[in-house]
Amino acid sequence: MTLYDIIFYLFALVTISSAYLVVTVRNIVYSAFSLLFTLFGIAGLYALLGADFVAIVQLIVYVGGILILMIFGVMLTNKITNVQIKTGVFQILPATIGVGIFGGFLLAVLLNTNWLNLNVKDSPATTFQLGQLLMNEWVLPFELLGIVLLIALLGAASIARK
Amino acid sequence: MVTVSLYHYLFVSTILFSLGIFGIVTRKNAVMVLMGIELILNAANINFVAFARYGNFGFQGQLMALFVIVLAAAEAAIALAIVLNIYKVFSSVNVDEIDRLKE
Amino acid sequence: MEAPLKYIFDSIQYLKPEVAVSIFLAILVTVDLVLGKKNKQVLPYIALAGLVITGYFVTQQFGTSAFASVQHNIGNFGLIAVDSFGNYFKLIIILSSIFIVLFSISSIEIKQVFDRHGEYYSLIFGMMLGMMLMVSSADLILIYLSIELVSLSSYVLAGFTKQSLRNSEASLKYIIYGGTASGIMLFGISILYGIMGTTNLYAINTILQNGAFQPLALIISCILIFTGFGFKISAAPFHFWTPDVYEGAPIAITAYLSIASKAAGFALLIRFIKVTFIQTIGEDGYWQLLGVIDWKSFLIMISILTMTLGNFSALWQDNLKRMLAYSSIAHAGYMLLGLAVFSDQGVMAILIYFLIYLFMNLGAFFVVMLIANKIGSEEIDEYDGIAYKTPLLAVSLAVFLISLTGLPPTAGFIAKLYLFIALVDAKMIAVAIIALLNTVVSLYYYIRVLKHMFLTKPKVEGERITIGIADTVVLLAMLIPIFLFGLYFTPIVNFAKNSIALLGF
Repeated sequence: MTLYDIIFYLFALVTISSAYLVVTVRNIVYSAFSLLFTLFGIAGLYALLGADFVAIVQLIVYVGGILILMIFGVMLTNKITNVQIKTGVFQILPATIGVGIFGGFLLAVLLNTNWLNLNVKDSPATTFQLGQLLMNEWVLPFELLGIVLLIALLGAASIARK
Repeated sequence: MVTVSLYHYLFVSTILFSLGIFGIVTRKNAVMVLMGIELILNAANINFVAFARYGNFGFQGQLMALFVIVLAAAEAAIALAIVLNIYKVFSSVNVDEIDRLKE
Repeated sequence: MEAPLKYIFDSIQYLKPEVAVSIFLAILVTVDLVLGKKNKQVLPYIALAGLVITGYFVTQQFGTSAFASVQHNIGNFGLIAVDSFGNYFKLIIILSSIFIVLFSISSIEIKQVFDRHGEYYSLIFGMMLGMMLMVSSADLILIYLSIELVSLSSYVLAGFTKQSLRNSEASLKYIIYGGTASGIMLFGISILYGIMGTTNLYAINTILQNGAFQPLALIISCILIFTGFGFKISAAPFHFWTPDVYEGAPIAITAYLSIASKAAGFALLIRFIKVTFIQTIGEDGYWQLLGVIDWKSFLIMISILTMTLGNFSALWQDNLKRMLAYSSIAHAGYMLLGLAVFSDQGVMAILIYFLIYLFMNLGAFFVVMLIANKIGSEEIDEYDGIAYKTPLLAVSLAVFLISLTGLPPTAGFIAKLYLFIALVDAKMIAVAIIALLNTVVSLYYYIRVLKHMFLTKPKVEGERITIGIADTVVLLAMLIPIFLFGLYFTPIVNFAKNSIALLGF
């Protein structure tokens, strides 16, 4: 039990328990804030996996961007002063059984598969290598991503404006 | 408690994936359904980064995670624009109430 | 260090159509901004010019067979495979885009949102770029990115007019189902990446040929990935979004989704299965797949389920648009059978089917749109006696519906004929009979529309519906091929025969 392990269990616990709250809590604002902890925990897992750049992007884009959007969505579509903010749920029991079977099966298969499980050294800072890849072999998807963002901008603006 | 390996990360990601599916199935509010979708995307991302590290596959997995994060942002922007528009039209964002199109 | 921009310059000669689409996307956005609120009527013509130029580049590319954006570290496989198969589907996508732009010019629904035409045509171009990459990408990362590009544009387009309730609803349902499907697919891709250590389909095939894989995890990952593909081609059980979205979206977009988006999904599915799992191709054109997954039984099951569900649900529909949505699900089922044969002949049947399906389905939607422009409804009851008000439209719709059923002498018969020949040649007689029975069922609901149009007396005496010269020309452009290809089909058969080759196989 090294320090690495302890930190991993900490982050994993934060991630899973807050994700559980995201999908079960009836108050939508609590749910959105639990998502904050989930995303934060996942950023920690990335950092443990030696993916420092991905961890930072996760924090900036997910926590700083997407989550804020979500909270705006929650705020704008619910009258906060009203008690109406609670959301209803449906099909709890069948959903629990179905997802439980499916998830259990998936888990059983994934954990019993013989993956390549090397004990590699932690890589040094990854930003440089990722930049190299993005500008060379993967420049085409990178450019495509620019177009996707343009389309998202156009689409969101055209839908949301009066 | 054993030394952390790939399987631990897979465990976390699979649980997240299942919770995401559960959220999508059970939630009524469209914004909450979107949160479920975000959980699924994040679960896949953990897989990519973890497989890349423990399999020593290079940086491709991290690259994919980056792409997915950007796409998730784009999708969330469009989805919330649509949700806002729906709210203006229906004054509700509960999926089961938005059912004018007949079965 | 490598030379700057080497990877772009090396492959730009193979990416001319995609580059042309991107440039015209930028032009559309800029022109829209420059023109301001007036003069938006030039936008569709710019779009048409862009489509024609892109089409020219695609035809120039016929016969080329090469990787674009080559990855030197994984055995010189590339992200994009440029081959005649992909080019055939690109042509189908461009052709349908041209028709959609023409539809949009005369659609009342689209005219009402005049001030947002710039966004409309830009989104269509964005969607087209995504579809063109979908049909040619050979890497799971690019596949996911292009599927998302298509989806994001179509979510917005489905709810584009947003005044009507059903429009916004279609868009919300589409993004929720679509986001879930692509998320599940992404999880599948991540597992496949974990097994293989690469996302390139050709590299995965090399690994599979050597026999190193984890069977159960591989099966799960493929099923999860199929969720995404199945969603795009609206195969059962991932079809449930189709009726709602098709009914709610503007008709021009419904027509686009039913042809182009489906074509791209099919091309992607065929490429994924063939490139990843093929072992050898026999002398007679039958593929020998690696025995990892029983794709044949799986696809046969899915396709029978799809066509039966589609046809039987269509029986009870009172809205013509919704009925056509179910019929398009059924057609996806027929076409999946062509893939399930796993032979070059089956793929050829799919190619022929798609070209003909393009004309007949677009034609049916066009007539529905023209009538809806005038009477403001797509309910079948409103079509009572419409043949007396507008003989040309009624007869055209009749021809398109008969062709969709697959009766001679229309082109739809040829499409079904080649499919059934492929099935019988592969000794899949039982499946062929089920498909034939399905066709008989489909006859009922297509003919029901004809009965309403020609035999039922109109409830109220309405005025005559007249259409303009331009619309008549567009209509004839879809009507003539139905008869032409029904009687003289050698050229398209030869064209399809020359287009079955995927890069490397």
